[in-house]
Amino acid sequence: MMSKTKFWSAENPRIKELVFVLKKMRSSPLSIVGLSIVVFFTILAILAPVLAPPQTDRDPYIMPRTGYSPTPKPPSSENIFGTTEGQYDLYYGVIWGARAAYRIGLLVVAVSAIIGIVVGGLAGYYKGVIDEVLMRLTDIILAFPGLILAMAFVVAFGRGLDSITLALILVWWPSYARLIRGEFLRVTAEDFVEAAKAVGCSDLRIMLRHVLPNTIFPMIIMASLDIGSVTLTAAALSFLGLGAPAGYSDWGQIISLSRNWITGVPGNPFAYWHAYIIPGIFLFLFVIGWNLLGDALRDILDPMIRRR
Amino acid sequence: MLTMTLAENEQLKVEDLIVRFYTYEGIVKAVEKANLNLRKGETLGVVGETGSGKSVTALTIMALTPTPGKVEGGHIYFRRSTGEIVDVLTLKEEGLLKIRGKEISMIFQEPNAALDPLYTVGDQIAEAILTHRLPEMLEKVGRLEGEETKGLWAFLEKLPVFKGSIKKRLLNEVVRQEIVELLKLMEIPDPERVVDAYPHELSGGMQQRIVIAIALACSPTLLLADEPTTNLDVTVQAQILDLIMRLKRKFGTSVIYITHDMGVIAEISDRVAVMYAGRVVEVAPTMEIFKNPLHPYTRALLESIPRPGLSFKAIPGTVPNLVNPPSGCRFHPRCSYAMERCSRETPELREISKEHLVACFLHGGA
Repeated sequence: MMSKTKFWSAENPRIKELVFVLKKMRSSPLSIVGLSIVVFFTILAILAPVLAPPQTDRDPYIMPRTGYSPTPKPPSSENIFGTTEGQYDLYYGVIWGARAAYRIGLLVVAVSAIIGIVVGGLAGYYKGVIDEVLMRLTDIILAFPGLILAMAFVVAFGRGLDSITLALILVWWPSYARLIRGEFLRVTAEDFVEAAKAVGCSDLRIMLRHVLPNTIFPMIIMASLDIGSVTLTAAALSFLGLGAPAGYSDWGQIISLSRNWITGVPGNPFAYWHAYIIPGIFLFLFVIGWNLLGDALRDILDPMIRRR
Repeated sequence: MLTMTLAENEQLKVEDLIVRFYTYEGIVKAVEKANLNLRKGETLGVVGETGSGKSVTALTIMALTPTPGKVEGGHIYFRRSTGEIVDVLTLKEEGLLKIRGKEISMIFQEPNAALDPLYTVGDQIAEAILTHRLPEMLEKVGRLEGEETKGLWAFLEKLPVFKGSIKKRLLNEVVRQEIVELLKLMEIPDPERVVDAYPHELSGGMQQRIVIAIALACSPTLLLADEPTTNLDVTVQAQILDLIMRLKRKFGTSVIYITHDMGVIAEISDRVAVMYAGRVVEVAPTMEIFKNPLHPYTRALLESIPRPGLSFKAIPGTVPNLVNPPSGCRFHPRCSYAMERCSRETPELREISKEHLVACFLHGGA
């Protein structure tokens, strides 16, 4: 803000920090792998309309089908990843599935994090009764197993991707609220918060300018690890038949379509391997990519392991 | 209404202040009927052991009593720069925000911890300036604005995205100039570079200068210094003390200087208040305290300063547990002059000779 040095010069501490992070990342092969996978899926999601152009004016997330036969067809020149039950095109499905995964993952994590920041922040900053009330509320939700509670919510809201998103947000925010509360408790005990009060800053300003930025690293790490697990949970709900409607480009839903074919035919258990292996690999790579990236960020951002 | 509560030359008066902490172990009676007064432009040294309530008193003067502390009684009268006299403890939050940092500011013990690690030194000083002196800064901007509105900038100003960008840029520049001037006052070498430095890039002494710069950014009338040199090297300590004293004279600030170091007290303060277990036990001009200490605790405190060639005496016993403080005079279990009366009644602070107040039955206490 006050800096007179040019923004892009190597002198700028923010740029120095970025260079440091990139250097740190280069020295660890796993973080490179994680980052590349995440970048790959991001490009896939952005370029989905180019890589797999929608053929009709209908919802582009609905996979095109080439027939109504239940038996999945193996990869061919026409459908390079083959088709699954109901002749839905797998290539189209997995590519648009990346978009669907990002849509759910980012939305759930972002909204949960915001709710978590507000709830946890208020609880950790004001302490006392506010803390007690807000934290008992989060405890109520944390008392139920996440997946089961999410299923209950989805059943209550009605089937669909939006219900899954909403249900996952409702299940996910308490862990953020807890993390943020703990971090707020830690940071508000620091002298510089007292000093900011002594300067005459308002509570809101102290929370936003001094406390929140000092709690943000654990948040970033948790969020990046969570994008993978949210996607996985959403896929599980879809697989159980609670999520996206049949034919929707969602990896969990695509795998669920192949449920009847997983055992193959007598004598050849892998006859229809492509119907579940291909979407499975995409889901697996997406989750592991985000987990590796999250781990890498933890190593880099953890102040204990850092140079200073 | 409150005009009669402060004498003409007084800046601040703490009257019968009671602060208690509600903890799981019980109620900690951290400050119990403490009385202090501070004159305009004066330096009052507050001495006492750890846990005597010095810091709590200082924070309470800004109405920043640390949780779970509660002010249970007393008044803190403060003369504002407008001449109005207020009781800090009854002020609403909005009123306090106008006083904190502008009229009363504080220097902290740990400069390293008192600075936010995520912002540059310049940003943190700018925060104090922008919080309280924005109109003044905008006025300066207004004067500059006329000259700048031409050429490329004038064109950009017409675009919606850049609206107000000149003002913003000029404000940044004006505030930056102000900060550099302030840093020069703090005798910081190379202020142009230090403005953009992060706290961890500076030494302890430099950090403390920055903290002082933040405290003095709005030329407050009252400065609370809570052991600002305790964690510094002796040589740096001398420099910082020197700096505080010079700036104090320059800005005409009254100072409450909290420490447990009698040497520092001797050097800088006009008067001294000795605190023990949450009470003020003796107040006197500095020379008087060193020459003629009256309260047994003050005597013991002075005798416990190590001197070469002399064996020093430690005060027997420990600071009392403030959950269950001793009855009567809180010093009586450690006092070699204790009488039977001391455990029954609490001595009041009263004036023994001119300017010399003491709370002890040995000296005519009632």
